[in-house]
Amino acid sequence: MEYTREIYWNVGHGAATLVPMYLLSFVAIAVLIYVFSRRIKMYKQGQPLNRTDQLPQRVAGMIKSVLLQSKILNVRGPGIAHALFFWGFFVLFLGTCLIFVQADFTDLFFGVKFLKGTFYLFFSLILDIAGLVAIVMLIGLLIRRYEIRPAGLENSGDDIIMNGLLLTILISGFVIEGIRMAVTELGTPLALWSPVGLGVAKIFASLDEATLLGLHSNLWWIHLIVVIAFIAIIPVTKFRHMFTTSANYLFTDLGPKGLVPTLDMEDEEAESFGVAQITDMSWKDIFDADACTSCKRCQDRCPAWVTDKPLSPMKIVQQIGEIAEISPTTPLLDKIDKDAIWACTTCRACQEICPANIEHVNKIIDMRRNLVLMEGEFPGEEVMTAMENTEVNGNPFGLAFASRGDWTEGLPVVTLGENREVDILYFVGCYASFDKRNQAIAKAFIQLCDAAGVRVGILGKEEKCCGEPMRKMGNEYLYQMQAGENIEQIKGYGIKQIVTTCPHCFNTLNKDYRDLGLDVEVSHYTEYLAELLQQGRLKITPQTFDCTYHDSCYLGRYNDIYQAPRDLLVAAGAQLTEMEKHSAESFCCSAGGGRILADENIGTRISKKRAQMAAETGAPTLISNCPFCLTMFEDGIKGAELDEQLQPKDLAEILIERLAR
Amino acid sequence: MKILVCIKQVPDMESKFKVNAAGSWYEETDLAWRMNEYDEYAVEQAVQLKQQVGEADLTVLCIGSDRVKETMKKALAMGCDRGAHIADDESYLKDPYAIASLIAGFAKDKGFDLIFTGMQSQDRGSAQVGVLVAEMLGIPSLTTLVEFSYADGTINAKRELEGGIKAKISCTTPALVTCQLGLNTPRYPTLPNIMKAKKKEMISTPVAELSPEASLLEVIQVAPPEKKGGGLILEGDPADLADQLIKILKEKTTALA
Repeated sequence: MEYTREIYWNVGHGAATLVPMYLLSFVAIAVLIYVFSRRIKMYKQGQPLNRTDQLPQRVAGMIKSVLLQSKILNVRGPGIAHALFFWGFFVLFLGTCLIFVQADFTDLFFGVKFLKGTFYLFFSLILDIAGLVAIVMLIGLLIRRYEIRPAGLENSGDDIIMNGLLLTILISGFVIEGIRMAVTELGTPLALWSPVGLGVAKIFASLDEATLLGLHSNLWWIHLIVVIAFIAIIPVTKFRHMFTTSANYLFTDLGPKGLVPTLDMEDEEAESFGVAQITDMSWKDIFDADACTSCKRCQDRCPAWVTDKPLSPMKIVQQIGEIAEISPTTPLLDKIDKDAIWACTTCRACQEICPANIEHVNKIIDMRRNLVLMEGEFPGEEVMTAMENTEVNGNPFGLAFASRGDWTEGLPVVTLGENREVDILYFVGCYASFDKRNQAIAKAFIQLCDAAGVRVGILGKEEKCCGEPMRKMGNEYLYQMQAGENIEQIKGYGIKQIVTTCPHCFNTLNKDYRDLGLDVEVSHYTEYLAELLQQGRLKITPQTFDCTYHDSCYLGRYNDIYQAPRDLLVAAGAQLTEMEKHSAESFCCSAGGGRILADENIGTRISKKRAQMAAETGAPTLISNCPFCLTMFEDGIKGAELDEQLQPKDLAEILIERLAR
Repeated sequence: MKILVCIKQVPDMESKFKVNAAGSWYEETDLAWRMNEYDEYAVEQAVQLKQQVGEADLTVLCIGSDRVKETMKKALAMGCDRGAHIADDESYLKDPYAIASLIAGFAKDKGFDLIFTGMQSQDRGSAQVGVLVAEMLGIPSLTTLVEFSYADGTINAKRELEGGIKAKISCTTPALVTCQLGLNTPRYPTLPNIMKAKKKEMISTPVAELSPEASLLEVIQVAPPEKKGGGLILEGDPADLADQLIKILKEKTTALA
């Protein structure tokens, strides 16, 4: 006897079954398409944005992210449960498709059956295992959601409907299988290839056949109707993420990572800048809201949220969705808290972890742009003063622009105005130029370069703030003025390579300035020195020391530079103890997004929190790679009263202490 | 309603100052320029008044080289309607009386209902120009205002006096007011207003056309203040600090004698 089973056993394969079944299916799919098409109108309230370029790359990325569940797996526990559930359910879906293809296509028209023999045995086994895995994972996720209830996880009616339907579909499927097996397979070797079904069959074996047949037929129809309901409500429940999150992988931002679109300041037609209403955003910004599954991974990692500020990246995305759906003419900031918009440090932790590739940060910057450029509003007067200072003196401190290069006294460095025959332009940045504590970084970098035989030039008083804090605060106009003047200087001197010690300068010159016409190789000093070290030009004598290392947002998440600084640390003799939150999961120092210019008045201090995390490692030294971070840690460590046990240092300071002379 | 606001472009006070070769003023190289702080309050108050009364024409006046036009643009971006530039490359050689005569010469036949100026300039700090202009035009002047309101041709204001005392005063227009710190918070110009400012009228008048009066004052010498003994910061254990302090007080002062 050949192994197989009768498709439509007991329910029949005649018109009485097929007509209502297909009718219901078509209705479900029609509802699905209709409701989604209505939602497409909602997305189209937004501005056009091309997210279908480089299509092969996009499609490949989408397939990979969906099938491998790679983004979801970035968080282990629930990630594994979701992935296994997905794979289980997906296999069941494929199995159902095969049944459909055989029963209503190959067999119907050509008399070809392929669900038989050895193939059928494995088909049966794999589907049984898939179903079991899906049920176990679903129950696990239900326990997490309703019993463990992680902080911040919100339960809505949606979740009950979704989980209830999925569980009903899976369990009813096994019961139907079990009853069928109780009648047809019990005692045959075939039954062993459906282990779960066999278990269920044994439960039902004691019932008489007539009862079983009636039960089976009823359950089959119930199972079908639940599946139909499931399909029909996809677009109006969180189920929609199967489509929208997958599509969001397709429409993802292909980079460069963290690039902020450059506004056309010369546009005479533009009546408004930045985003005030739904219609000012791109369609993708609205679509993002539909791709959100409320997994709150962003919120868990948001330094503002964690320190009791009103910003939750998740809620902002969802509020945008609510406005787009319910009241598209409502100004965004009627619903979204202005303090939430100002609280963002643009640390990108939200975007990096988001399993749906939602783009939180630029939405916030766009809303800030509107506040600053159209209303002249800032989070505080101190920020406005910093802006005015930058306008006048090219630095947020308001210190004399002419003294920008004063720190170089006695060091082997020239200004390009004096001599343009240099190997690299060191773009110093405001903090290393003017801030006493951070001048140590600049001085150390110059001496390290000198020891490696690199001729370094700076712009001196011709250098201006790169404009990054102003830009991230929403002041695109001031940013472009600063950038324009810097680019003119750099181009004028015919510079080929720039090195920065500030990751904010690095990211801005390397990515943002390209939009404004700068095309020069830009490196952060950690990568640059790591290369000099590798080439043997820079010689470091290791001296053992204990430390922990803080990945700055703009070196780490924005530029994926994690290894070079660690290589330098190892070369210097570091015994590195990582903080729990490190690398891509690093926790912001609080200074990004222009927050360096602003007072932190709401909630607790982010820098203090990070200082505590560093202290937990027991290491006496906290190494950073960014003048903003160093400034914040000097503050945060004192604030947390940890200055007895923890000292903040820049990586350059460690290296200069160990320079082989 | 016709309003005039007079502003001055001054070096940022954080700049590196050097006395010029003639010893008559400061060297202009390596200076960052900005609007005199008190004039920012004047512009802000003038713009607020214009917004309050609706129908008003607000002129911003500035004396100096072409460089001052940048600062005038900021006033235009803040909300002034037109710019009147008095082109004078050597305005720094003129004393407050001569400067006031230029402004009065410009304003005399234009029928301004209200003239706003800063209380003083951050660089020369004479605090005379506004008062002299009012005198020359024969209108009342209200100085060092920290509060200002206007209704139906009447100004109600608060002046800051010595020792934290304030005076309430009132007068009818035409009048001139000078503005003090605390009067308002100057606005940050919005981008559309910065764009509009670029297209606003800005007429330059050569200084000679306004036939200024001769200066009454002559600058004899400009010099940085003499360096006196700097501050002393004591650091260390509080008990030691107390001993050190007592020692210093005994040796260098008569406080404990």
